[in-house]
Amino acid sequence: MKNLSNEVFKKIKDNNIKPKPRWYFITKNYFIWSIFGISIILGSFAFSMVLFIIKQLDWDIYHYMGDSFIKTLFISLPYLWLIFLFLFTGVAYYNFIHTKRGYRFKLISILLISLIISISLGTGLYFNGFSERLEKIFSAKIPYYNQLVYSCEEQWMQPERGLLAGTIIEIGFPENNFILRDLENNRWEIEASKVIWKGKLSPTTNLKIKLIGKLINDNNFKATEIRPWQKGQGRFMMGGNR
Amino acid sequence: MVISSKCINKTDEQIVVLTLKNQDYYLCLMKRYEDKLLNYILKISNTSREDAEDILQEVFIKAYQNLNDFDLNFTFSNWIYSIARNTTISAFRKKKVRPQTVSWEDKDLNNLLQSTLDIENTSHQKLIYKHILKIINQLPLKYKDVLILKFVEGKDYQEIGDILHKPMGTVGTLINRAKKSLKQELKKEDITL
Repeated sequence: MKNLSNEVFKKIKDNNIKPKPRWYFITKNYFIWSIFGISIILGSFAFSMVLFIIKQLDWDIYHYMGDSFIKTLFISLPYLWLIFLFLFTGVAYYNFIHTKRGYRFKLISILLISLIISISLGTGLYFNGFSERLEKIFSAKIPYYNQLVYSCEEQWMQPERGLLAGTIIEIGFPENNFILRDLENNRWEIEASKVIWKGKLSPTTNLKIKLIGKLINDNNFKATEIRPWQKGQGRFMMGGNR
Repeated sequence: MVISSKCINKTDEQIVVLTLKNQDYYLCLMKRYEDKLLNYILKISNTSREDAEDILQEVFIKAYQNLNDFDLNFTFSNWIYSIARNTTISAFRKKKVRPQTVSWEDKDLNNLLQSTLDIENTSHQKLIYKHILKIINQLPLKYKDVLILKFVEGKDYQEIGDILHKPMGTVGTLINRAKKSLKQELKKEDITL
């Protein structure tokens, strides 16, 4: 057998091979941890959006439309943000296992821990109003965003299925009836003689509302229940509820 | 050699620290691991001795270049075995190595068979050793690898985990599956021990 160690040692000396500097590995390590951290944070943004979209939808109206809860759930889930949440969790996992001791942990433990951190941070961001601001930015700046996410607007703009939303522009023509401009800027005459007003509302102009009822014709709608557009005080200002 | 004598009674990790100050100490580390790693490479790759030596050269150079990445909280042995494994697999993928039948030392094969199949290396069994070796060499690398590390190299689960970069639980599962796979293959070949 040839003296391999001496050969390699000679090669190292002759070719002036040096160990890579320490800072190179430290930087690489910090980079991996940073990407892990950023992925967790982006995952928390995604989760806050999931929470925001789920909370803004009305989950009690499926029976008005004759749908099952499962079907409503299937249609309404914020898939885009769920995909982002799982994608960022995956990136976090990939980076974590490339840290010095990352491989010692089981896949399921890393995924669960990453998800739990993202969910906790995301919940905090949601209650902080961050997701609401982010939703506004995305709706305004990202092309096709509104088509990708099943929104409250989409849920309530189905007059043929008995759901309508908009702003009252005139009241009392005749008594108890009013004129509404819907979210797509169409004008509706609303018959509201036997209506239940939810959320301690009283009909006033410029009030943004959601209506459950029946489509009579192209611009007539008979309301049976009216709800405030905004769910919960001080929350969900999207669409400009005043 | 002067440096070699200075390495006596020093741990691998101490020599790594010294190597970073004086490269001459690296020779000690290479000498300590030359035979062990060459055997390991030969067993997991089924390659020729010449190819295995080329891979080992690459391993030593890579290890030297990445010496600053070695964490003193780990053992140098696991670290360099891990480099050897990855370099061998990489060479295998690049088809730099030509598979051959590798002859194992009797004691290594005996260790493996005793531990996985509960049998002794008797003269009768020696007759079918060649065949068993062929079967071991045909096992998927992930199985062959853990069997060699556990029963030939004598590594424990944590050490194997550090070499393969896998959690200990996964190592345990792999070892059990590898044993099962080996037994099944022997059964298929109608080898009774």
